[in-house]
Amino acid sequence: MIYDALIAPFLEFEFMRRALAAVVALSLGGAPIGVFLMLRRMSLVGDAMAHAILPGAAVGFLLSGLNLFAMTAGGLIAGFAVALLAGVVTRNTDLKEDASLATFYLASLALGVTIVSVKGTNIDLLHVLFGNILAMDDQTLLVVAFNATLTLIVLAVIYRPLVIESVDPLFLRTVSRAGALAHLTFLALVVVNLVNGFQALGTLLAVGLMILPAGIARFWSRELTGMITIAVASAILSGYAGLVLSFQTRIPSGPAIILVAAALYVFSILFGNVQGVVRQLFPAPHLEA
Amino acid sequence: MQCLRGFLLVLAVSLGGAPLHAQAPLKVVASFSILGDFVKNVGGDRVAVTTLVGPDGDVHVYTPTPSDVRKIADAKLLVINGFGLEGWLPRLLQAAGGKASIVTVTSGITPLRLGSNADPHAWQSVANAEKYVANIRDALVAADPPDADVFRQNAQAYLAKLAALDGEVRQAVGQIPQGRRKVISTHDAFGYFAARYGIEFIAPIGVSTEAEPSARDIAKIVAQVKAEHIPAVFLERIGDPRLIQRISAETGARVGGTLYSDSLSDEKGDSPTYIDMVRHNIRTLTSALAN
Amino acid sequence: MAAQLQFRDVTLGYDRHPAVHHLSGEVGAGALLAVVGPNGAGKSTLFRGLVGILKPLAGTILTGGIDARDIAYLPQTADIDRSFPISVFDFVGTGLWRQTGFFGGIGKEARAGIAQALAAVGLSGFENRGIGTLSGGQMQRVLFARVLLQDARLIVLDEPFNAIDTKTSADLLALVQQWHAEGRTVLAALHDMDLVRAHFPETLLLARGKVAWGATAEVLTTENLAEARRMCEAFDDGAAACAVDVDTSKAA
Repeated sequence: MIYDALIAPFLEFEFMRRALAAVVALSLGGAPIGVFLMLRRMSLVGDAMAHAILPGAAVGFLLSGLNLFAMTAGGLIAGFAVALLAGVVTRNTDLKEDASLATFYLASLALGVTIVSVKGTNIDLLHVLFGNILAMDDQTLLVVAFNATLTLIVLAVIYRPLVIESVDPLFLRTVSRAGALAHLTFLALVVVNLVNGFQALGTLLAVGLMILPAGIARFWSRELTGMITIAVASAILSGYAGLVLSFQTRIPSGPAIILVAAALYVFSILFGNVQGVVRQLFPAPHLEA
Repeated sequence: MQCLRGFLLVLAVSLGGAPLHAQAPLKVVASFSILGDFVKNVGGDRVAVTTLVGPDGDVHVYTPTPSDVRKIADAKLLVINGFGLEGWLPRLLQAAGGKASIVTVTSGITPLRLGSNADPHAWQSVANAEKYVANIRDALVAADPPDADVFRQNAQAYLAKLAALDGEVRQAVGQIPQGRRKVISTHDAFGYFAARYGIEFIAPIGVSTEAEPSARDIAKIVAQVKAEHIPAVFLERIGDPRLIQRISAETGARVGGTLYSDSLSDEKGDSPTYIDMVRHNIRTLTSALAN
Repeated sequence: MAAQLQFRDVTLGYDRHPAVHHLSGEVGAGALLAVVGPNGAGKSTLFRGLVGILKPLAGTILTGGIDARDIAYLPQTADIDRSFPISVFDFVGTGLWRQTGFFGGIGKEARAGIAQALAAVGLSGFENRGIGTLSGGQMQRVLFARVLLQDARLIVLDEPFNAIDTKTSADLLALVQQWHAEGRTVLAALHDMDLVRAHFPETLLLARGKVAWGATAEVLTTENLAEARRMCEAFDDGAAACAVDVDTSKAA
């Protein structure tokens, strides 16, 4: 019975296997990024980015019609422009990341809407651009896997300066110029993950599997590597359980995965080791020293 | 003497002016491209038709623009589908005001149901299209009585073409072997076509382009295609084509091509008129299902 | 004494109201200099200009050929994100940036160095604690430990003894004096005048511009302190644009 529910769907249907593979790849790449986003107070950047890429997708559409490759490439360019501009403004002025990103993404969205209206078609470009995890073809799987690999490698490279830059940016500026590079590289990574994630899996999943696992991890670990591990694990778990849920019921796959992640999050708020509500209400006896 | 001359002059001018007045074409607004095509065929050069949702647009989720407001305000007749297709229309009408009379082309047609709603795609059955044309003809006659004869003649000619088309489709379907008359399509827009001509359309998503399938829905379709040996899957112009390709890859069913359901293509495309659209669809279906 | 640092008519600040106006002077190598002044005097701004975080609006700061990595900067703790999940060990370990750079591992020697630094500031055994669990005084000690590890020739401390208990101040002050004895150049922004008079041979009294600079006893007079307070309270949007003038006051 359990076998039927948990294992059989994946053995029987290739689209389920592919969906699972995609979710694992997305978790490996997206969850660590999500932890940094959360720590840097950029949790809403996914939403902003989903709108910021519109002019790029619009230009891609103008040049090549409903060509997913052209629109994704355009989206990437627009996303980079917005993220990097926001990053540069944050570094050189008093404006914090959230405000500078907000201003640029709004401008970008308005530009995108204008381009689309001038062209005169009412196709919801963003709707076309956003994919579905049940429709993983070979090319999309490759893109998602490539993302994950690229992200893990680049994160490993910029890990140290990124961490220092997040906790004590002034110190880093005095000893190295790596801070700016690490910051902007991180933003570029965020864009790549988001845009490719949107195109492969839709906004809900791409952003959700970045941010929710990070929130979950916060309640179980006080330490960065622990957080990243727990985030990845809970993302994979949510993906697996969500797919099973979507298979057994009529709930669409993206929302099912996110609902599982949200349930895990609520569970963590209540019972987590670190500041869980229940732990706070019933603390363990305190130690002598 | 002066009086009489003056009176004759006025009479001459008004008689001379009457045809001039009658020649200004009737301003008609159609909600989307298929209806626009019908109006053009019935109205000929006696009407000036503008369409709100143009070629390649998505009439289910259209967002009106200010120029649409103007179009409606200036129009004498508004031609809409009804059956819940144009959910965005009531507010637009409120904004535009104007004195247009409205004709709902589906009046007199019993709707099929799709889930809990009416299925709006009644035009997919050519018999219903003939009803649409009849309703449009009557509305044009009422809005522009001087041209009534023109409209009736045009409509009669066009209805004959439609009747012939209906026969064409029946014959083409007749040539498909009985066991192969089923297809998979992303867009559940062919209910009326299926009911009239006997080809079964199985779809993973509901009526509009908004709904998202669950894994169970996809699994059921894959299982069904495999179990019933459904020969072909079809792409829709609107919707995620990758989903269809995934189902095709997993079941071995052929990807048939593109079917047009909610809109015509532009002049350079392969279905710029309704008749072209139906012909394209039936040709695509038969070639995918034939062997 | 050879000059280590030279300030040549330096103006530093944000917007059009500079925090530091036309500062000129020299700091000898191996000096122990206290920088004092009322709140808003420009001490932090001056230090940011010195360590390269802030570019001067006018003038230049010369650091006698010291590499950027040979400067250790102790910022005010307000600029550090204490909620970030990093351990004391890792945080102090960032002081080894010169050796490790992006990728260098922290080997046995480095570990020993970190342990020593923590011991020197009285925080042995704190390696695995998160920085968010530390008290103000403990955080200050951690910052000192990092400076120790950096082993720099020029040490710049921004309000290092703020809001910490006397025992900690005394311990950390001992470290400062040790650095001075080792021939490093040390600048510290301070509020406690008694501490300055007792332990710092040179003082720069800053009030958005130089009020006095030299031997501590001569600088910290009642008149100078009153003058400093007066200068700090002048913030006039209607002021005329500052005319460039060469500062001819005496320097060390």
